[in-house]
Amino acid sequence: MKVRITYCAECGYEPQTLELAGALMREFGERLASIEIIPWEDGTFDVRVGDELVHSMARDGGFPEVAAVSAAVRRAIG
Amino acid sequence: MGSMTAERFRQGQTYDEFKASMTRDRERFEANEARVRIAADDLAALKRARPLRVVALAADWCGDVIANLPVLGRIAQESGTLDVRVFERDANADLMDQYLNQGQWKSIPVFAFFDDGWSEVGVFIERPDPVTEIRARKRREVFAAHPEFGSPDAPPDQLPEDVRARLQAELQKMRDETTDWANGEVIREIRAIVEGRARWGGAKQREGGMAQRA
Repeated sequence: MKVRITYCAECGYEPQTLELAGALMREFGERLASIEIIPWEDGTFDVRVGDELVHSMARDGGFPEVAAVSAAVRRAIG
Repeated sequence: MGSMTAERFRQGQTYDEFKASMTRDRERFEANEARVRIAADDLAALKRARPLRVVALAADWCGDVIANLPVLGRIAQESGTLDVRVFERDANADLMDQYLNQGQWKSIPVFAFFDDGWSEVGVFIERPDPVTEIRARKRREVFAAHPEFGSPDAPPDQLPEDVRARLQAELQKMRDETTDWANGEVIREIRAIVEGRARWGGAKQREGGMAQRA
């Protein structure tokens, strides 16, 4: 299972990105195929688990709860 | 209306101290600074204006700070009429809370202008509205000219890596091509505030937001 985090680099969203990536690394370890971090722009903070966009700042507003992303990963890896 | 005192003002960094303290993007900041061109007419007007103090709320990770604080810095250097102090956004919540964009968002940069009696004469927030509008239009044009980029509203992570890199390059090119014009808009709005012809510059302030507090 692959997780992608797309964050707005010019907005300074690195701390939230690293916090989420770190939490997923600690909880799921080698059960994740990869965690891809994509620096972007335009106020983006998107999290995709497999093919599912589980959070989008434009769609959902704000940053995701780490617990909500973790739950999505647990569902995806079964 | 924001409040400020001489003592609080002196706690800010000078423009050069802020530059020296930057932990990232200083090269880009200084490149932008070198690129600013102040027209003779604007410079003459800015030199004629009364001296003002400027509280600048900023952070070195913010793209709009990297773009627009150098414009203020160059105006201050060349006009000799603006005394600028920079305050890091997240370390100065008392100031930031006075200048929330539309009463809600901690948009930066904020440039708050004060006269010698510490009365606030004007505020510039984030970037001029025409810059936001023109760049949004040009961004849509980039997508329209390149169907391979997909929808401008779609998450970019689904694009193949090479396409995403090309999109990023096209957007950067668009921003670069509009930089001189955007700098001119920032100068125009700061000049209007300094001359007392405008109360607000930058992001449009909604009635009942900043206006209510003024």
